[in-house]
Amino acid sequence: MTEKIVITGYGIISSLGSGVEKTREALLKEEKSIGRVAHLCTKHTEIPCGEVKESDEELKHQLGIGNDVVITRTPLLALIALKEALETSKLTDQISTAFINGTTVGGMEKSEKYYNDFFEGKHTEYIAAHDCGAGTELVSHLFGRFDFMTTISTACSSAANSVILGADLIKTGRVDAAIVGGTESLSKFHLNGFNSLMILEHQPCRPFEKSNQGLNLGEGAGYIVIERESVAKARGAHILCELSGYANTCDAFHQTATSETSEGEYKAMTQALHKAHLETTDIDYINAHGTGTADNDLHESIALKRVFGEHIPPFSSTKSFTGHTTSAAGAVESVISILALQHGFIPANLGFSEPIEATGLIPVKKTIQKELNHVMTNSFGFGGNDSSCIFSKYQPS
Amino acid sequence: MDSLIQELKEEIIQSLNLEDMKPEDIDANAPLFGEGLGLDSIDALELIVLMERNYGIKLNNANEGKEIFKSIQVMADYISKNRTK
Amino acid sequence: MSIFIDKAAQISIQQPLSNEWFTNPMQPTERLCKFSLPNFKQYLSPATSRRMGTALKCALSSALSCVPEEKRSNLDGILTGTGLGSIENTENFLLAMLQGEEGLSPSNFMQSTHNTIGSQIAIAFKCHGYNITYAHRGTSFDSALLNAIIKFKLKEFSSALVNGVDEMTEKYFQLFDQIGYWKDRSVTTDDIRNASSNGSFAGENSVSLLLTDQKSDDTLCEICDTELFYCPTDQRLKEYIQKLCKENDIHQIDAIVIGNNGDDENDKEYKRLCGFIEPSATPIIYKHLFGESFTMSGIGVYVGATCLKEGYVPAHLTMNNCQLNQLKSVLVLNHFKKLDYSITLLKSC
Repeated sequence: MTEKIVITGYGIISSLGSGVEKTREALLKEEKSIGRVAHLCTKHTEIPCGEVKESDEELKHQLGIGNDVVITRTPLLALIALKEALETSKLTDQISTAFINGTTVGGMEKSEKYYNDFFEGKHTEYIAAHDCGAGTELVSHLFGRFDFMTTISTACSSAANSVILGADLIKTGRVDAAIVGGTESLSKFHLNGFNSLMILEHQPCRPFEKSNQGLNLGEGAGYIVIERESVAKARGAHILCELSGYANTCDAFHQTATSETSEGEYKAMTQALHKAHLETTDIDYINAHGTGTADNDLHESIALKRVFGEHIPPFSSTKSFTGHTTSAAGAVESVISILALQHGFIPANLGFSEPIEATGLIPVKKTIQKELNHVMTNSFGFGGNDSSCIFSKYQPS
Repeated sequence: MDSLIQELKEEIIQSLNLEDMKPEDIDANAPLFGEGLGLDSIDALELIVLMERNYGIKLNNANEGKEIFKSIQVMADYISKNRTK
Repeated sequence: MSIFIDKAAQISIQQPLSNEWFTNPMQPTERLCKFSLPNFKQYLSPATSRRMGTALKCALSSALSCVPEEKRSNLDGILTGTGLGSIENTENFLLAMLQGEEGLSPSNFMQSTHNTIGSQIAIAFKCHGYNITYAHRGTSFDSALLNAIIKFKLKEFSSALVNGVDEMTEKYFQLFDQIGYWKDRSVTTDDIRNASSNGSFAGENSVSLLLTDQKSDDTLCEICDTELFYCPTDQRLKEYIQKLCKENDIHQIDAIVIGNNGDDENDKEYKRLCGFIEPSATPIIYKHLFGESFTMSGIGVYVGATCLKEGYVPAHLTMNNCQLNQLKSVLVLNHFKKLDYSITLLKSC
């Protein structure tokens, strides 16, 4: 049997605030943080978002970065979460470590602001900060060296896929630890993009609701530190839980719609269970992708029924708290899943009142205290890039 | 009405990049989605953009398009009744 | 367990979906070398391709040309590297949005996400397997290749498609020009062999490699391993290569594919690397024929694999302009601004 992969650190920032403690409190108190944007420059201020409260300047101040440093918002959010992940894990330089980052927006939030200026030779320092990999490198320059580094961009499942790559890098012995997750700032570009797809909700979103209109975009970052069990034990790390299963599949149906039978989502969940050597009845809570769009929520419900039959575990979408943090979602929700496992609670699916007629599934409406052993989290992206991860209570080998 | 139908056919060919089609290939009464022209949900959104840009008709919900985009004929009827430009 | 490059296809400035560049290459003369387009209708129906941008059409064409129909839906994975994704669509959406945030076309937005390429290939192939996209600057392709190899080594894959796709628009070319990416004149083969100034020239590429765990008559070569490094010490690179050669029973590396692109700073680093890795190995150049992009290293692997299949390196691809015969092993080196490095070892089979 291959060696276990354990989680030894985590960090998060979202509209709920910075840090795992703040996030846990907000989930327990059912705090509402989706509302009018304060920092994003857009005409569409009528569209609510889950925006991080701090401005770029405030984030720089918190991080001790000079105002003159060329950095976009996506890596700034990353740095806040990464710092916490490293501090909680107490990972040292002696351990070979990969940094795998998920993002799609990259530096777009500055490019859209300065695009015309670029051609006049102004703000040209942001040209090379535009692409996805640029943000990952900026984070690394400011943070110190990693032995391995790459950037994954599979839209809304980017961060989940970085968890998967990290685990496989450890399993094949290429590194002993990996900091995995994702980051995404709001941008006018993707706000307008989602708006052109007519899937943005004009009130706080209500995942799995009958008359669903759409999602709220959010922003944030999340990272977890995953490690080979023997390495974590040898250095006396505090083990939060283990990564027991994961899978990446493709729906291979349409760029923005899901196949009738939700093939990709079904396969992601079943393969993750298989990898974890778990039965469907072992799962105590599912942190659903649950964006709030009619297409996602119906098809995720269909997939849940196909996988779990009549006994669907308690589930909720915490996008009702944070909005859809797109490339960061898989990491933000992994951190939430780990918190749920660690502290024994199931976060609410805010705003829900009536189930979708075709499937009739009812999510957890109020945050409840419950002992959990295995938690599944789903991340489904554009193009049918579907991934599921399972976190379990740590059982020493 | 005939000229509006002709105009719509040309605009649809252009905005949906139906490169190999000519206006006379499209039956004004044939369904645009599914078996007819074989358009999909993204095309429906492109048609919503087209209605707003060319005729000043704003739809707030993609579902409203379902009825309006049944065929070119239905679309033309709707446009002639609701156009603001 | 061995991994083979069973088939390969490229679209670039060179003759598309062809190996013509190996014997009879076209010498680029522009600063921005756009794709030489294949006849898309041979691969894509007008209904399928009507919303697609150029990069996507090229990616689908090279993927379809690379993987025989009966193998498509059974692939265990489709892994794609793209530094910038479909920037033509991204720009279209961005420019329209800057005019006003109303009436924007969803088709452009939909294609602006990097994973559109990989997922559209999956749709065309009806392939539900592992599907991932890397966007990490100069090692985007290398990341995808590494991920595929890992999955083979974990015995989760027996076949996979790895792609490296990047396009370059006029506008993006201008932006990169502002920050010194390009020379103010076209790059010559002499620049690649003896760089003495800053800047390169731009290329576009879609390269597809079919990896399998079974050898066939078509097989180009065996791929032993790929590894990525971030700011490595020379010692670390040396140790890795020594270990890799030992594991694969290679006593001497015959040739090293290097990414010389005419930029002084870039090319000096390859010279330095070759100097301590294997000074007697023949350096193979390719960017004089293809230009530079974030995923051009995919063409580097493809060039190395093609040379192994043919059993020699033609003079026009070597640093010293002399043909190299008796080719058994090729190391492919790639670095991006002396930060990200990748090493791939190929051997004949």
